[in-house]
Amino acid sequence: MKLYTSTIAATIGKYFIFCCFAIFSLPSSLFAQEAAKEEDFFKINKMRSPEGTLLEVGGLCTLPNGDLAVTTRRGDVFIVENPTSAKPYFRKFASGLHEVLGVAYKNGSLYVTQRGELTRLFDSNMDGKADVFETVYAWPISGNYHEYSFGPKLAPDGSFFVTLNLGFPGAWWHPESFVPWRGWTLHIYDDGRVEPWAAGMRSPCGISMIDGELFYTDNQGDWVGSGSIMPVKKGAFMGHPASLVWTNQPNSPLKLTQQEIFAKINPRIEFGPDSQQVKPENKVNEKFMTEFEMKKFIPELQLPAVWLPHGILGISTSEIVKIPKGVFGPFEDQLLVGDQGQSKISRVFMEKVNGELQGCAWDFRSGFQSGIVRLAWGTDGSLFIGETNRGWGSAGDANEGLQRLTWNKRLPFEMRTVKAMPDGFEIEFTKPVDKKYAEDLASYDIESYIYKYHGVYGSPPVNTQKCPVKGVKVSEDGLKVRLIVSNLRQYYIHIIKLDNIRDKENSYTLVHPTGYYTLNNIPEGAKLAMATVSIKNTAKAVTAKTTSPTGTYTYAQIKPLLTKYTCVACHNPDKKQVGPGFIDVAKRNYSIDKILQLIKNPQPQNWPGYATPMAPMPQVPAADAKKIAAWINSLAVKK
Amino acid sequence: MSKMSINYKRTLKTIHIFISLFCWQGLSAQKQIDLSSLANFKNAGANWHIAGDVNADLYKQDTLIFSSGKGVLVNLPNAAARQDLYTNFKHGDLDIELDYMMAKSSNSGIYLQGRYEVQLQDSWGILNPRSGDNGGIYERWDDTKAEGQKGYQGYAPRQNVSRAPGLWQHLKIVFQAPRFEGSAKIENAKILRVELNGVLIQENVSLEGATRGAVENNEVAMDALRIQGDHGPVAFRNIIVSNYDKAKPSLSVIACSLYKGKFVKEPDYKTLKVIAQKTSPSITTNLTGLPDNEYLVRYTGTLHINEPGEYNFIAITAGGSGAVKINNTAVFALNNNNNKGSVNLQPGDWPFEIVYSKYVDWAKSSLALNITGPGIREFTISDAGSVSFTNDADPVLANATENTILRSFVDLPVGGRVTHSVNVGTPEKIHYTYDMDKGMMVQLWRGNFLDATPMWHERGDGSSRAAGAAQYFGKPMLTVAKLIDVNATWASDTTGTGYRPNGYTLDEKDRPTFKYTIYGVAVSDKIRILENGQGIEREITLQNSTANLYVRVVGAGSITEISKGLYLVNDKSYYLKIDNPDGTKPMIREQNGQKELLVPIQNKFSYSILF
Repeated sequence: MKLYTSTIAATIGKYFIFCCFAIFSLPSSLFAQEAAKEEDFFKINKMRSPEGTLLEVGGLCTLPNGDLAVTTRRGDVFIVENPTSAKPYFRKFASGLHEVLGVAYKNGSLYVTQRGELTRLFDSNMDGKADVFETVYAWPISGNYHEYSFGPKLAPDGSFFVTLNLGFPGAWWHPESFVPWRGWTLHIYDDGRVEPWAAGMRSPCGISMIDGELFYTDNQGDWVGSGSIMPVKKGAFMGHPASLVWTNQPNSPLKLTQQEIFAKINPRIEFGPDSQQVKPENKVNEKFMTEFEMKKFIPELQLPAVWLPHGILGISTSEIVKIPKGVFGPFEDQLLVGDQGQSKISRVFMEKVNGELQGCAWDFRSGFQSGIVRLAWGTDGSLFIGETNRGWGSAGDANEGLQRLTWNKRLPFEMRTVKAMPDGFEIEFTKPVDKKYAEDLASYDIESYIYKYHGVYGSPPVNTQKCPVKGVKVSEDGLKVRLIVSNLRQYYIHIIKLDNIRDKENSYTLVHPTGYYTLNNIPEGAKLAMATVSIKNTAKAVTAKTTSPTGTYTYAQIKPLLTKYTCVACHNPDKKQVGPGFIDVAKRNYSIDKILQLIKNPQPQNWPGYATPMAPMPQVPAADAKKIAAWINSLAVKK
Repeated sequence: MSKMSINYKRTLKTIHIFISLFCWQGLSAQKQIDLSSLANFKNAGANWHIAGDVNADLYKQDTLIFSSGKGVLVNLPNAAARQDLYTNFKHGDLDIELDYMMAKSSNSGIYLQGRYEVQLQDSWGILNPRSGDNGGIYERWDDTKAEGQKGYQGYAPRQNVSRAPGLWQHLKIVFQAPRFEGSAKIENAKILRVELNGVLIQENVSLEGATRGAVENNEVAMDALRIQGDHGPVAFRNIIVSNYDKAKPSLSVIACSLYKGKFVKEPDYKTLKVIAQKTSPSITTNLTGLPDNEYLVRYTGTLHINEPGEYNFIAITAGGSGAVKINNTAVFALNNNNNKGSVNLQPGDWPFEIVYSKYVDWAKSSLALNITGPGIREFTISDAGSVSFTNDADPVLANATENTILRSFVDLPVGGRVTHSVNVGTPEKIHYTYDMDKGMMVQLWRGNFLDATPMWHERGDGSSRAAGAAQYFGKPMLTVAKLIDVNATWASDTTGTGYRPNGYTLDEKDRPTFKYTIYGVAVSDKIRILENGQGIEREITLQNSTANLYVRVVGAGSITEISKGLYLVNDKSYYLKIDNPDGTKPMIREQNGQKELLVPIQNKFSYSILF
């Protein structure tokens, strides 16, 4: 479950393509042409449920017969019969459990994770309801509200994994592990034997099993600059030091201590004049360390396989599922990742380079009704989406939901894969590209950045640099391009923007023209000869002018900035989303300078009705922030 | 009265000012009625007695047996003597708090001003209480109506949290007398609150007239308190009354000045520009022209004091802070953390000032000023309409209309949070919480099931609360443990016992039986509701038992055996009944100043709690 993240996406859906055009200031003639949208290919379906059924979904699991097990934060377990039909039947299998945030099926029983235990539910008398509630293993828990427990995920050998949230003390910005094994993954056997598996988790809602290997996504916060996909290997340290207080226990698989971390990085435990702890803020000009730099000192530290950039591909990433063979067309075998705050799903292609995972992530489908926590495949190849946002807020403003995503078998124009090459990237498309655009270097825009690894809540993108594209080679069939890219940086997130690329068939742009490639390793091998590539470049040095002569701005003018700086992740112009509507900010009558200050150093205490504090956004340049501020204030004048 | 911080005292020429943070109820004219004799009552009938102790019989109707001594008031009516009891004092507004004990099937009542009855009744186990049940406000009566329509305007308690006959129950009534202008009634009498066994069961009930059996059918400003004595045996103790019969302070000629700006500390008004100035009928934030934020509004007026004594001023100043001055001396200053203060005032007119500084931009303007004083119940002197409730959460209530389980964290009054607990609710309206970390029942209650708001509002904190009247059993401890030496301390945790929870199974009616393993012994723990909602029966069964195992049935301040196998626990809070006392050999021992009832167990043991 995601906590205190800072941003969240608007219902990007229909607007998304439009925004992207606007940000990167395409020639205006192109606006006339249509681009296909997510919903032209992937449909969000309602699942009919009895009135009054509160589906604050915490767990989903498809049963061998195609039924769907659904567990809720209110403690209910439903078995939904015929879940892909027009009239699913909801059978209440169990109730009264303690915030059930996950479910797995094994040998005729359901295994659920409650706050304090892994429990086997079994219907011994076949009346359709569980009558055996067997504690498989009860772990310690202090009773802090934030000690959520996730899982179980079933390993190939029939054993289980669960992940345990840290607790939030009064100084919530420094979560703590109050009892063993908060912040850990536990490996649990049927007979109650338990093995602490990995440490360093913060808010590991996204526990997932992919091809028999354990993965997870964490939620942005202190020591977690952004959500990401990480493999969870035995004895690994996933990055958050709070859990390391238990490595002195005899059964701990790692011996790493907090002191070893804090010797390199100040944990930023800070006090105000009244001796009360205060939330440390990001320092814009400081020496900092990245996670990959820290890994040189702490080999147990697990780096993200694929970053899911915060505010762009989610703000509170959740479950990862692998797309089964024969499902969702060109995307089979790839990964989908849910996000609670932005109510959307990202897509990820992973590859192994030098034995380590890395890959590329894209937006996939947004517009779900509430915050996405769980994903599960139906036997018909549709995807069940389990949702809740109670206590956090989300782009989809319903408090709960169970929906189903289906593909209409139409082929969207997308980047199917991006692969790292010794001298750049190879991008494969789902449909042949129009070579006129594909062979033009002006169609490619690549830059890279990374996050800080520190005790401050979240991180701005840092060390951003351009990665000039020097040449491109388009395959004969138009399905692939090879790019020669300079300034590739190992471990960095490479933003690959292909706004100008068009397909051959309809001359449509990509449904999602931006990919985020985490370059953990640059492969060895043959480089492309410059003589074989196109170096055509039609780019003109045009600077977009959004400044209007009057100094006032329309929403259309400002929206590209709001999108670029991920403001839309949390803020809607005129209604509450995760954060307040801009119109409500306008009512505060802040001066332009005050808004600039608040963008850099937000004051969440001024907004008590909002669960999720805003992250500092020092990366927004003053000139753009001023435009945004002027536009915000113009909203008040209208009233 | 509990004082939570240091007082300091300044003596001025005319006023003594005490500023402190304290418990406000502590200031009223609270008085315990002396029950060493019947001297405080008017011509007490022969059915009224002063006793040292009293016992009812669970099974025999209308039976109370008392022993000599002082402190307990007992009514034993018979054909010859069955009079009601009247206090010597007369009362208007009154708080009364007392312990009482019903005999089986008995009936009594507290008549405020001799006229408005809060019913006392043996309503043990009643599922759907009516106005004639324990804690109900008894019906009014109209003899002119047809049979069956004579009774009207009775008010049932919100839930039945009544205890068994022979147990002490606790009642608190907050009463407001009718108001008169001359001989004309201008405001009804009101039962502001009734709390029974710690649970609010009536609130703000307006009474159009006297209830049935009133001493007179007229209504008056003051009259004696009356206890019904003609129906059945009943006992009372610890009767505490607070009379609120003194004239309230009033405010006159209120001038109001508005200043713009953010004032965290009180400014020097001489250097400030007044934005607006007017007179106001009351202290309020419902003023036209008030900005949303960053302003200070200052009211000045004259406070009329009729009664000498200590007065307490409590300001509600959401979105900012407040300050009160009397006779140009601060009762409390502008300060985020403290909006309370007290001052000793003599009768007369005092220059009065209250300041509200609003500077939290997201909050709504909200100002109220409450006052308590000598013989003066807390009242709001400001405009009641200027307080905002918009941020209050809707309650999330869990009912048990069928056998229901709802797990949550549970906080116990002894401190500590039970983290692996299971709340079990029943349609018989008897519910309990089982601690799966220890195999212990940690609370048992009657009435409504759970308030799940703490768990289910927004993120929640994972906990829920018993929504009825609970019995507690102390700190969580093992129920079954090994005692090599019968004088050894009972284990407070599971270390070395091999304790492992195994969950629970549900029977055909969805009732759980808990399972755990300790010392390799499989324990099965079954709790069921007794007939007629009298309490619970618990059966503990062992498989592969081992030697020296005991059940700690209860640890309590007092455990008194009243007949073979039947015990009264904790000053008559509940009954404990051991099945087969001859076979099971219960023993009571003392451990750390507490009594413990232990029973050796081989294979099976069962007992009941009646409450």
